[in-house]
Amino acid sequence: MTAVESDAIRRIEAEAISSRFARGWHCLGPAEKFKDGKPHTVHAFGQKLVVFTGGDGKTNVLDAYCRHMGGDLSQGTVKGDEIACPFHDWRWGGDGRCKKIPYSRRVPLRARTAAFPTMEKNQLLFVWNDPEGKQPPDDVTIPVIEGVGRDDWTQWRWTEQIVHTNAREVIDNVVDMAHFFYIHNSFPTYFKNIFEGQTAIQIMKGKSRPDARRDDGGGKGPRMLGNTSVAAYHGPSFMIDELTYHYEGYDLTSILINCHYPIDENSFSLHSGIIVQHSDKLPAAAAEATAEKLSTFILAGFQQDVEIWKNKTRIDNPLLCEEDGPVYQLRRWYEQFYVDVADVTPEMTDRFEYEIDTTRPVESWEREVEENLKRREAEEARA
Amino acid sequence: MIREDERLLDGGPLLPVRCRTCAAEVLARKASWEQTSIQWTAEAAAACHELGADPLGTCGALRSAIQEAALAGTITVLDEHTPDPSTIPHDH
Repeated sequence: MTAVESDAIRRIEAEAISSRFARGWHCLGPAEKFKDGKPHTVHAFGQKLVVFTGGDGKTNVLDAYCRHMGGDLSQGTVKGDEIACPFHDWRWGGDGRCKKIPYSRRVPLRARTAAFPTMEKNQLLFVWNDPEGKQPPDDVTIPVIEGVGRDDWTQWRWTEQIVHTNAREVIDNVVDMAHFFYIHNSFPTYFKNIFEGQTAIQIMKGKSRPDARRDDGGGKGPRMLGNTSVAAYHGPSFMIDELTYHYEGYDLTSILINCHYPIDENSFSLHSGIIVQHSDKLPAAAAEATAEKLSTFILAGFQQDVEIWKNKTRIDNPLLCEEDGPVYQLRRWYEQFYVDVADVTPEMTDRFEYEIDTTRPVESWEREVEENLKRREAEEARA
Repeated sequence: MIREDERLLDGGPLLPVRCRTCAAEVLARKASWEQTSIQWTAEAAAACHELGADPLGTCGALRSAIQEAALAGTITVLDEHTPDPSTIPHDH
């Protein structure tokens, strides 16, 4: 079957970006950071929020602006279990209700502000965003990560940065096999996606690239052969990647988190976290060093994406070849988080599987790696 | 707005394939012998015996059914340049 060739110029289409933000749990980073007894300012979901932990140990998220005269609660003070406004000392509880106005006999009616449900899991703080204002259903959650807090794994190494583009760009990477070769110096040899319910999975195997000169020991240490990655978005923004690096004679087991929360429709806060499992080949100190190295490496990977995102245009109608992944089906899955629960359709959540034929990409990339090596050899001979 | 994957229009659509070990009927498409797209329905996923055990895998029985449908021509393998596994002489 051959498609009819068309002379028509392909137009890039992009609808205006909605300022509605995804329904779901969003990770704000390590929970510990918010337990210092001080209020924290977080810009998320197009709003300014205050995050604070009361004397009761519970971490709360409220709209930052005091309903009295609009003071910024995130510049205030934690007093007992409440956050006190810096402007007139009105006290707001984690449930969003004004508990006390020290200079007044009574709290007025309607003294209620927006409170966001929070959850602590895997030593991370999550906040629930829901444009319909509903509570999170019990079955919509983030899975427990086995290695977190265990003494045979490293502690979280966490990074965060602000990226000035719409968050859909980072989601698209779930299906984008080819960019791993061209942008990230990886070499995918197997690539499959599964979307089902609120989960979007990417299964990828790769081999090492001799032309990429990644600093993995400079030939001194054991040779890296490749990697296996099973990465799953649980909801619209939190990805857990079970990432195994295969070395000659052993495997390095790690968990990588790739998550974000939208600041507004044109920017998001991009986070990475990593833990590495200790092993005979990788005792505690070596695992720490490896985690540090991987964290730096992941950050460099984000930078490579950011360079592209800074300059690219938003595109609703990407033109795909058969060796590309299921971009449209991924976006169909992603759409479920941007409509009311009642409007989520089976096509958004029904299981969809897509396995790429990597025959041609692998042939082409092997040739390219070979050429890169030859060119480098020639350059070195000349030098 | 949800847009259609134009590859389904330009290359070929997803077509029904029925599993022979359970009642599952899915939509499948093969751009080449090594590429497979599978669109499940909730009913098909509920009927499948293998999905529960390994949600990351593709059900082996269904995989065979799709392969057989491709060999029988019930679904078209779009890229004819890739080797047809039926011509690989593993039987003799």
